[in-house]
Amino acid sequence: MKNYWWKILCVILLLYTVIIGFTGTIPELNILEESIRNLYFHVPMWFAMITLMFTSMIYSLLYLNKSKIEYDIKASSFATVGFVFGILGITTGSIWARVTWGAWWVFQEVKLNGAAAALLVYAAYFILRGSFDDEEKKARFSAVYSVFAFVMFMVLIGVIPRVAGASLHPGNGGNPGFNSYDLDNSLRIVFYPAVIGWILLAVWIATLKIRTVKVFRKIHELDIE
Amino acid sequence: MISNISKLIKKEFQLEWRQKTAIATIFIYVLGTTFLIYLVFQGNINIPTWIALFWIISLFTTVNAVSKSFMKDANEQFYYLRNIASPVEIILSKIIYNAIFITFLSLVIYAVMVLFFNENIEDKSLFLLTVILGSIGFSNLFTLLSAITARTQNIILLAILGFPIILPLLLLIVKMSGLADFTISQQDIYVNIGAIVLLDVITLILSVILFPYIWRD
Repeated sequence: MKNYWWKILCVILLLYTVIIGFTGTIPELNILEESIRNLYFHVPMWFAMITLMFTSMIYSLLYLNKSKIEYDIKASSFATVGFVFGILGITTGSIWARVTWGAWWVFQEVKLNGAAAALLVYAAYFILRGSFDDEEKKARFSAVYSVFAFVMFMVLIGVIPRVAGASLHPGNGGNPGFNSYDLDNSLRIVFYPAVIGWILLAVWIATLKIRTVKVFRKIHELDIE
Repeated sequence: MISNISKLIKKEFQLEWRQKTAIATIFIYVLGTTFLIYLVFQGNINIPTWIALFWIISLFTTVNAVSKSFMKDANEQFYYLRNIASPVEIILSKIIYNAIFITFLSLVIYAVMVLFFNENIEDKSLFLLTVILGSIGFSNLFTLLSAITARTQNIILLAILGFPIILPLLLLIVKMSGLADFTISQQDIYVNIGAIVLLDVITLILSVILFPYIWRD
Protein backbone atom coordinates (compact mmCIF):
# COMPACT_ATOMS: atom_id res chain seq x y z
CA MET A 1 0.00 0.00 0.00
CA LYS A 2 2.86 2.35 0.80
CA ASN A 3 4.29 2.19 -2.68
CA TYR A 4 1.30 1.77 -4.93
CA TRP A 5 -1.32 4.11 -3.46
CA TRP A 6 -0.73 6.55 -6.33
CA LYS A 7 -1.51 3.85 -8.89
CA ILE A 8 -4.88 3.25 -7.23
CA LEU A 9 -5.43 7.00 -7.18
CA CYS A 10 -4.54 7.11 -10.89
CA VAL A 11 -7.11 4.42 -11.79
CA ILE A 12 -9.84 6.10 -9.72
CA LEU A 13 -9.14 9.53 -11.22
CA LEU A 14 -9.12 8.20 -14.80
CA LEU A 15 -12.33 6.20 -14.26
CA TYR A 16 -13.88 9.39 -12.90
CA THR A 17 -12.53 11.37 -15.88
CA VAL A 18 -13.87 8.97 -18.49
CA ILE A 19 -17.28 8.36 -16.87
CA ILE A 20 -18.06 11.91 -15.73
CA GLY A 21 -16.21 13.35 -18.71
CA PHE A 22 -18.54 11.69 -21.20
CA THR A 23 -21.78 11.81 -19.22
CA GLY A 24 -21.47 14.89 -16.97
CA THR A 25 -23.11 18.23 -17.58
CA ILE A 26 -21.27 20.82 -19.65
CA PRO A 27 -21.98 24.50 -20.21
CA GLU A 28 -23.85 25.39 -23.42
CA LEU A 29 -21.26 26.64 -25.89
CA ASN A 30 -21.41 27.82 -29.49
CA ILE A 31 -19.39 25.89 -32.10
CA LEU A 32 -17.55 23.91 -29.39
CA GLU A 33 -20.71 22.18 -28.14
CA GLU A 34 -20.01 18.58 -27.09
CA SER A 35 -16.40 18.72 -28.35
CA ILE A 36 -15.52 20.64 -25.16
CA ARG A 37 -15.26 17.21 -23.53
CA ASN A 38 -11.96 16.82 -25.39
CA LEU A 39 -10.62 19.30 -22.83
CA TYR A 40 -10.29 16.36 -20.42
CA PHE A 41 -8.07 14.47 -22.86
CA HIS A 42 -6.24 16.87 -25.16
CA VAL A 43 -4.87 19.34 -22.60
CA PRO A 44 -3.76 16.76 -19.98
CA MET A 45 -1.72 14.96 -22.68
CA TRP A 46 0.48 18.06 -23.01
CA PHE A 47 0.76 18.47 -19.26
CA ALA A 48 1.81 14.82 -19.03
CA MET A 49 4.34 15.28 -21.85
CA ILE A 50 5.83 18.41 -20.27
CA THR A 51 6.07 16.65 -16.89
CA LEU A 52 7.85 13.62 -18.39
CA MET A 53 10.20 15.69 -20.54
CA PHE A 54 11.10 17.81 -17.52
CA THR A 55 11.83 14.64 -15.51
CA SER A 56 13.89 13.33 -18.42
CA MET A 57 15.94 16.53 -18.45
CA ILE A 58 16.52 16.31 -14.69
CA TYR A 59 17.83 12.75 -15.08
CA SER A 60 20.01 13.89 -17.99
CA LEU A 61 21.54 16.57 -15.76
CA LEU A 62 22.04 13.96 -13.02
CA TYR A 63 23.77 11.70 -15.56
CA LEU A 64 26.12 14.50 -16.61
CA ASN A 65 27.05 15.01 -12.97
CA LYS A 66 27.25 11.43 -11.72
CA SER A 67 27.80 9.36 -14.90
CA LYS A 68 25.63 6.51 -13.61
CA ILE A 69 23.98 4.55 -16.41
CA GLU A 70 20.79 4.22 -14.34
CA TYR A 71 20.11 7.92 -14.86
CA ASP A 72 20.49 7.48 -18.60
CA ILE A 73 17.99 4.61 -18.59
CA LYS A 74 15.53 6.79 -16.70
CA ALA A 75 16.12 9.85 -18.91
CA SER A 76 15.56 7.93 -22.14
CA SER A 77 12.53 6.02 -20.79
CA PHE A 78 10.80 9.19 -19.62
CA ALA A 79 11.52 10.82 -22.99
CA THR A 80 10.11 7.82 -24.89
CA VAL A 81 6.84 7.81 -22.97
CA GLY A 82 6.67 11.61 -23.11
CA PHE A 83 7.00 11.40 -26.88
CA VAL A 84 4.05 8.99 -27.06
CA PHE A 85 1.96 11.41 -25.00
CA GLY A 86 3.02 14.22 -27.33
CA ILE A 87 1.74 12.23 -30.30
CA LEU A 88 -1.52 11.61 -28.44
CA GLY A 89 -1.74 15.33 -27.67
CA ILE A 90 -1.26 16.35 -31.29
CA THR A 91 -3.73 13.70 -32.51
CA THR A 92 -6.50 14.71 -30.09
CA GLY A 93 -5.74 18.34 -30.95
CA SER A 94 -5.99 17.68 -34.66
CA ILE A 95 -9.37 15.97 -34.27
CA TRP A 96 -10.59 18.87 -32.16
CA ALA A 97 -9.32 21.37 -34.73
CA ARG A 98 -11.28 19.57 -37.48
CA VAL A 99 -14.48 19.89 -35.47
CA THR A 100 -14.14 23.49 -34.31
CA TRP A 101 -11.78 25.26 -36.75
CA GLY A 102 -12.74 23.21 -39.81
CA ALA A 103 -9.35 21.74 -40.73
CA TRP A 104 -7.02 19.03 -39.45
CA TRP A 105 -4.11 21.43 -39.52
CA VAL A 106 -4.28 25.22 -39.29
CA PHE A 107 -1.22 27.17 -40.37
CA GLN A 108 -2.04 30.34 -38.40
CA GLU A 109 -1.91 28.28 -35.24
CA VAL A 110 1.59 28.82 -33.81
CA LYS A 111 1.03 26.40 -30.95
CA LEU A 112 0.24 23.58 -33.37
CA ASN A 113 3.37 24.22 -35.41
CA GLY A 114 5.41 24.60 -32.23
CA ALA A 115 4.12 21.28 -30.90
CA ALA A 116 4.99 19.54 -34.18
CA ALA A 117 8.48 21.04 -34.08
CA ALA A 118 8.86 19.90 -30.46
CA LEU A 119 8.02 16.34 -31.52
CA LEU A 120 10.67 16.62 -34.26
CA VAL A 121 13.21 17.79 -31.66
CA TYR A 122 12.56 14.66 -29.60
CA ALA A 123 12.48 12.41 -32.68
CA ALA A 124 16.00 13.71 -33.37
CA TYR A 125 16.92 12.78 -29.78
CA PHE A 126 16.08 9.14 -30.49
CA ILE A 127 17.98 9.22 -33.81
CA LEU A 128 20.98 10.62 -31.93
CA ARG A 129 20.79 7.80 -29.40
CA GLY A 130 20.75 5.29 -32.22
CA SER A 131 23.86 6.77 -33.82
CA PHE A 132 26.33 5.77 -31.10
CA ASP A 133 27.78 2.32 -30.54
CA ASP A 134 29.57 3.24 -27.36
CA GLU A 135 27.20 3.17 -24.32
CA GLU A 136 28.90 5.88 -22.34
CA LYS A 137 29.18 8.29 -25.27
CA LYS A 138 25.57 7.66 -26.24
CA ALA A 139 24.41 8.47 -22.71
CA ARG A 140 26.61 11.57 -22.33
CA PHE A 141 25.92 13.14 -25.74
CA SER A 142 22.21 12.48 -25.68
CA ALA A 143 22.03 13.96 -22.17
CA VAL A 144 23.61 17.15 -23.49
CA TYR A 145 21.13 17.23 -26.37
CA SER A 146 18.22 16.50 -24.03
CA VAL A 147 18.92 19.62 -21.96
CA PHE A 148 19.00 21.68 -25.15
CA ALA A 149 15.84 19.98 -26.39
CA PHE A 150 13.85 20.76 -23.26
CA VAL A 151 14.83 24.43 -23.22
CA MET A 152 13.87 24.76 -26.90
CA PHE A 153 10.64 22.85 -26.23
CA MET A 154 9.74 25.47 -23.64
CA VAL A 155 10.64 28.27 -26.06
CA LEU A 156 8.52 26.67 -28.80
CA ILE A 157 5.36 26.29 -26.74
CA GLY A 158 5.91 29.11 -24.25
CA VAL A 159 7.74 32.04 -25.81
CA ILE A 160 7.01 31.88 -29.55
CA PRO A 161 3.18 31.85 -29.23
CA ARG A 162 3.40 35.00 -27.11
CA VAL A 163 5.69 36.84 -29.50
CA ALA A 164 3.88 35.69 -32.65
CA GLY A 165 0.53 36.80 -31.27
CA ALA A 166 -1.66 35.00 -33.81
CA SER A 167 -3.26 31.93 -32.30
CA LEU A 168 -6.68 30.31 -32.28
CA HIS A 169 -6.20 28.66 -28.90
CA PRO A 170 -8.22 29.96 -25.94
CA GLY A 171 -6.26 32.49 -23.91
CA ASN A 172 -3.94 33.37 -26.83
CA GLY A 173 -3.98 36.15 -29.40
CA GLY A 174 -6.87 37.99 -27.79
CA ASN A 175 -9.11 34.93 -27.52
CA PRO A 176 -10.98 34.47 -24.26
CA GLY A 177 -9.41 31.93 -21.89
CA PHE A 178 -11.17 28.80 -20.77
CA ASN A 179 -12.29 30.52 -17.58
CA SER A 180 -14.91 32.39 -19.58
CA TYR A 181 -16.40 29.13 -20.87
CA ASP A 182 -16.58 27.57 -17.45
CA LEU A 183 -18.84 29.87 -15.50
CA ASP A 184 -20.44 27.20 -13.29
CA ASN A 185 -17.19 25.24 -12.69
CA SER A 186 -18.65 22.10 -14.31
CA LEU A 187 -15.58 21.73 -16.54
CA ARG A 188 -13.09 22.39 -13.79
CA ILE A 189 -14.27 19.63 -11.48
CA VAL A 190 -13.40 17.09 -14.17
CA PHE A 191 -10.44 18.88 -15.74
CA TYR A 192 -8.19 19.08 -12.66
CA PRO A 193 -8.63 15.41 -11.67
CA ALA A 194 -8.09 14.49 -15.35
CA VAL A 195 -4.75 16.35 -15.44
CA ILE A 196 -3.51 14.61 -12.29
CA GLY A 197 -4.82 11.23 -13.48
CA TRP A 198 -3.17 11.39 -16.90
CA ILE A 199 0.14 12.60 -15.45
CA LEU A 200 0.11 9.71 -12.95
CA LEU A 201 -0.66 7.26 -15.77
CA ALA A 202 2.23 8.63 -17.83
CA VAL A 203 4.64 8.30 -14.91
CA TRP A 204 3.34 4.78 -14.26
CA ILE A 205 3.98 3.73 -17.87
CA ALA A 206 7.45 5.31 -17.66
CA THR A 207 8.32 3.31 -14.54
CA LEU A 208 7.23 0.12 -16.33
CA LYS A 209 9.39 1.10 -19.30
CA ILE A 210 12.37 1.63 -16.98
CA ARG A 211 11.81 -1.81 -15.45
CA THR A 212 11.64 -3.54 -18.84
CA VAL A 213 14.84 -1.83 -19.94
CA LYS A 214 16.56 -2.91 -16.72
CA VAL A 215 15.35 -6.50 -17.11
CA PHE A 216 16.55 -6.52 -20.70
CA ARG A 217 19.95 -5.25 -19.63
CA LYS A 218 20.17 -7.77 -16.83
CA ILE A 219 19.43 -10.64 -19.22
CA HIS A 220 22.18 -9.39 -21.50
CA GLU A 221 24.48 -8.90 -18.51
CA LEU A 222 24.86 -5.15 -18.90
CA ASP A 223 25.24 -2.58 -16.12
CA ILE A 224 22.06 -1.29 -14.56
CA GLU A 225 23.58 0.89 -11.83
CA MET B 1 41.68 33.55 -21.24
CA ILE B 2 40.95 36.29 -23.79
CA SER B 3 44.42 36.03 -25.32
CA ASN B 4 43.97 32.26 -25.58
CA ILE B 5 40.62 32.70 -27.30
CA SER B 6 42.01 35.20 -29.77
CA LYS B 7 44.91 32.85 -30.54
CA LEU B 8 42.46 30.01 -31.17
CA ILE B 9 40.32 32.21 -33.43
CA LYS B 10 43.45 33.19 -35.32
CA LYS B 11 44.25 29.50 -35.68
CA GLU B 12 40.80 28.88 -37.19
CA PHE B 13 41.24 31.67 -39.72
CA GLN B 14 44.70 30.43 -40.70
CA LEU B 15 43.44 26.87 -41.12
CA GLU B 16 40.55 28.11 -43.24
CA TRP B 17 42.84 30.25 -45.34
CA ARG B 18 45.26 27.38 -45.86
CA GLN B 19 42.53 25.08 -47.17
CA LYS B 20 41.30 27.26 -50.00
CA THR B 21 39.31 24.38 -51.47
CA ALA B 22 37.09 24.34 -48.37
CA ILE B 23 36.17 28.01 -48.71
CA ALA B 24 35.75 27.64 -52.46
CA THR B 25 33.39 24.71 -51.85
CA ILE B 26 31.11 26.86 -49.71
CA PHE B 27 31.15 29.74 -52.20
CA ILE B 28 30.33 27.50 -55.12
CA TYR B 29 27.61 25.92 -52.98
CA VAL B 30 26.04 29.33 -52.36
CA LEU B 31 26.34 30.33 -55.98
CA GLY B 32 25.02 27.01 -57.26
CA THR B 33 22.04 26.90 -54.89
CA THR B 34 21.00 30.48 -55.59
CA PHE B 35 21.35 30.01 -59.34
CA LEU B 36 19.30 26.81 -59.15
CA ILE B 37 16.55 28.62 -57.24
CA TYR B 38 16.71 31.49 -59.73
CA LEU B 39 16.06 29.07 -62.58
CA VAL B 40 13.42 27.05 -60.74
CA PHE B 41 11.48 30.20 -59.82
CA GLN B 42 12.02 31.50 -63.36
CA GLY B 43 13.64 34.65 -62.04
CA ASN B 44 10.51 36.09 -60.56
CA ILE B 45 9.71 36.14 -56.84
CA ASN B 46 8.00 38.52 -54.43
CA ILE B 47 9.57 39.92 -51.28
CA PRO B 48 8.25 37.40 -48.69
CA THR B 49 9.53 34.56 -50.89
CA TRP B 50 12.82 36.42 -51.28
CA ILE B 51 13.22 36.60 -47.51
CA ALA B 52 12.20 32.98 -46.99
CA LEU B 53 14.64 31.76 -49.64
CA PHE B 54 17.43 33.93 -48.24
CA TRP B 55 17.13 32.31 -44.82
CA ILE B 56 16.70 28.80 -46.20
CA ILE B 57 19.88 29.12 -48.26
CA SER B 58 21.58 30.68 -45.25
CA LEU B 59 20.51 27.79 -43.02
CA PHE B 60 21.68 25.07 -45.41
CA THR B 61 24.98 26.86 -46.04
CA THR B 62 25.48 27.18 -42.29
CA VAL B 63 24.92 23.47 -41.74
CA ASN B 64 27.43 22.65 -44.46
CA ALA B 65 30.00 25.18 -43.28
CA VAL B 66 29.76 24.40 -39.57
CA SER B 67 29.52 20.61 -39.85
CA LYS B 68 33.27 20.29 -40.26
CA SER B 69 34.25 22.58 -37.39
CA PHE B 70 35.02 19.71 -35.03
CA MET B 71 35.83 17.00 -37.57
CA LYS B 72 39.56 17.62 -37.37
CA ASP B 73 39.70 18.33 -33.67
CA ALA B 74 37.75 15.21 -32.83
CA ASN B 75 40.56 13.05 -34.14
CA GLU B 76 43.98 14.46 -34.85
CA GLN B 77 44.24 17.55 -32.70
CA PHE B 78 41.97 16.51 -29.86
CA TYR B 79 44.61 15.67 -27.24
CA TYR B 80 46.83 18.56 -28.20
CA LEU B 81 44.01 21.10 -27.98
CA ARG B 82 42.81 19.65 -24.73
CA ASN B 83 46.21 20.24 -23.18
CA ILE B 84 46.68 23.82 -24.26
CA ALA B 85 43.17 25.27 -23.74
CA SER B 86 40.16 24.88 -21.49
CA PRO B 87 36.85 23.65 -22.98
CA VAL B 88 35.22 27.06 -22.40
CA GLU B 89 37.99 28.78 -24.38
CA ILE B 90 37.63 26.28 -27.20
CA ILE B 91 33.84 26.53 -27.53
CA LEU B 92 33.92 30.35 -27.29
CA SER B 93 36.62 30.61 -29.95
CA LYS B 94 34.71 28.24 -32.26
CA ILE B 95 31.42 30.09 -31.70
CA ILE B 96 32.97 33.50 -32.36
CA TYR B 97 34.77 32.23 -35.44
CA ASN B 98 31.65 30.54 -36.80
CA ALA B 99 29.50 33.61 -36.08
CA ILE B 100 31.89 35.79 -38.09
CA PHE B 101 32.05 33.19 -40.85
CA ILE B 102 28.25 32.75 -41.04
CA THR B 103 27.66 36.52 -41.05
CA PHE B 104 30.15 36.82 -43.88
CA LEU B 105 28.50 33.96 -45.79
CA SER B 106 25.05 35.53 -45.27
CA LEU B 107 26.32 38.78 -46.78
CA VAL B 108 27.70 36.81 -49.74
CA ILE B 109 24.29 35.14 -50.11
CA TYR B 110 22.66 38.57 -49.94
CA ALA B 111 24.93 39.84 -52.70
CA VAL B 112 24.26 36.81 -54.89
CA MET B 113 20.49 37.09 -54.26
CA VAL B 114 20.57 40.76 -55.27
CA LEU B 115 22.60 39.85 -58.34
CA PHE B 116 20.05 37.31 -59.55
CA PHE B 117 16.74 38.60 -58.24
CA ASN B 118 17.50 42.31 -58.20
CA GLU B 119 15.38 42.72 -55.08
CA ASN B 120 16.18 45.23 -52.38
CA ILE B 121 15.36 45.39 -48.70
CA GLU B 122 13.90 48.72 -47.62
CA ASP B 123 15.50 49.09 -44.18
CA LYS B 124 19.05 47.83 -44.76
CA SER B 125 20.47 48.58 -41.32
CA LEU B 126 17.66 46.66 -39.61
CA PHE B 127 18.20 43.78 -42.04
CA LEU B 128 21.93 43.78 -41.30
CA LEU B 129 21.20 43.71 -37.57
CA THR B 130 18.90 40.72 -38.13
CA VAL B 131 21.60 38.96 -40.14
CA ILE B 132 24.19 39.50 -37.41
CA LEU B 133 21.88 38.43 -34.56
CA GLY B 134 20.66 35.45 -36.58
CA SER B 135 24.20 34.37 -37.42
CA ILE B 136 25.19 34.51 -33.76
CA GLY B 137 22.22 32.28 -32.89
CA PHE B 138 23.01 29.88 -35.74
CA SER B 139 26.61 29.74 -34.57
CA ASN B 140 25.71 29.12 -30.89
CA LEU B 141 23.49 26.19 -31.76
CA PHE B 142 25.24 24.56 -34.66
CA THR B 143 28.73 24.79 -33.15
CA LEU B 144 27.64 22.76 -30.12
CA LEU B 145 25.60 20.32 -32.20
CA SER B 146 28.49 19.81 -34.63
CA ALA B 147 30.66 18.90 -31.63
CA ILE B 148 28.11 16.19 -30.83
CA THR B 149 27.75 14.90 -34.37
CA ALA B 150 31.49 14.93 -35.08
CA ARG B 151 31.78 11.80 -32.92
CA THR B 152 29.22 9.86 -34.93
CA GLN B 153 29.55 8.58 -38.46
CA ASN B 154 26.10 9.94 -39.28
CA ILE B 155 26.64 12.89 -41.65
CA ILE B 156 22.98 13.90 -41.94
CA LEU B 157 22.59 13.97 -38.15
CA LEU B 158 23.54 17.65 -37.81
CA ALA B 159 20.59 18.69 -39.99
CA ILE B 160 18.20 16.39 -38.13
CA LEU B 161 19.29 17.70 -34.73
CA GLY B 162 19.61 21.30 -35.81
CA PHE B 163 16.56 22.09 -37.93
CA PRO B 164 13.81 21.62 -35.34
CA ILE B 165 15.94 23.25 -32.63
CA ILE B 166 16.76 26.29 -34.77
CA LEU B 167 13.07 26.75 -35.66
CA PRO B 168 12.15 29.27 -32.91
CA LEU B 169 15.07 31.49 -33.89
CA LEU B 170 14.38 31.06 -37.61
CA LEU B 171 10.72 32.05 -37.20
CA LEU B 172 11.73 35.17 -35.31
CA ILE B 173 14.39 36.29 -37.80
CA VAL B 174 12.13 35.65 -40.79
CA LYS B 175 9.45 37.76 -39.14
CA MET B 176 12.07 40.38 -38.34
CA SER B 177 13.29 40.48 -41.96
CA GLY B 178 9.66 40.99 -42.93
CA LEU B 179 9.48 43.95 -40.58
CA ALA B 180 12.60 45.38 -42.18
CA ASP B 181 10.68 45.51 -45.41
CA PHE B 182 7.02 46.07 -44.66
CA THR B 183 7.67 48.69 -41.98
CA ILE B 184 5.21 47.57 -39.32
CA SER B 185 5.03 49.31 -35.95
CA GLN B 186 8.18 50.17 -34.03
CA GLN B 187 6.79 48.28 -31.02
CA ASP B 188 6.87 44.96 -32.91
CA ILE B 189 10.49 45.50 -33.91
CA TYR B 190 11.62 45.96 -30.30
CA VAL B 191 9.71 42.88 -29.13
CA ASN B 192 11.31 40.83 -31.91
CA ILE B 193 14.84 42.11 -31.34
CA GLY B 194 14.37 41.42 -27.63
CA ALA B 195 13.21 37.85 -28.28
CA ILE B 196 16.09 37.14 -30.71
CA VAL B 197 18.70 38.54 -28.31
CA LEU B 198 17.15 36.49 -25.50
CA LEU B 199 17.39 33.31 -27.60
CA ASP B 200 21.00 34.13 -28.54
CA VAL B 201 21.90 34.55 -24.88
CA ILE B 202 20.10 31.36 -23.80
CA THR B 203 21.74 29.25 -26.51
CA LEU B 204 25.17 30.75 -25.79
CA ILE B 205 24.90 30.03 -22.06
CA LEU B 206 23.69 26.47 -22.72
CA SER B 207 26.50 25.83 -25.20
CA VAL B 208 29.19 27.09 -22.87
CA ILE B 209 27.82 25.14 -19.90
CA LEU B 210 27.27 21.87 -21.79
CA PHE B 211 30.35 21.80 -24.01
CA PRO B 212 32.80 20.63 -21.27
CA TYR B 213 30.76 17.40 -21.04
CA ILE B 214 31.27 16.76 -24.73
CA TRP B 215 34.90 17.77 -24.69
CA ARG B 216 36.29 14.84 -22.73
CA ASP B 217 37.00 11.37 -23.81
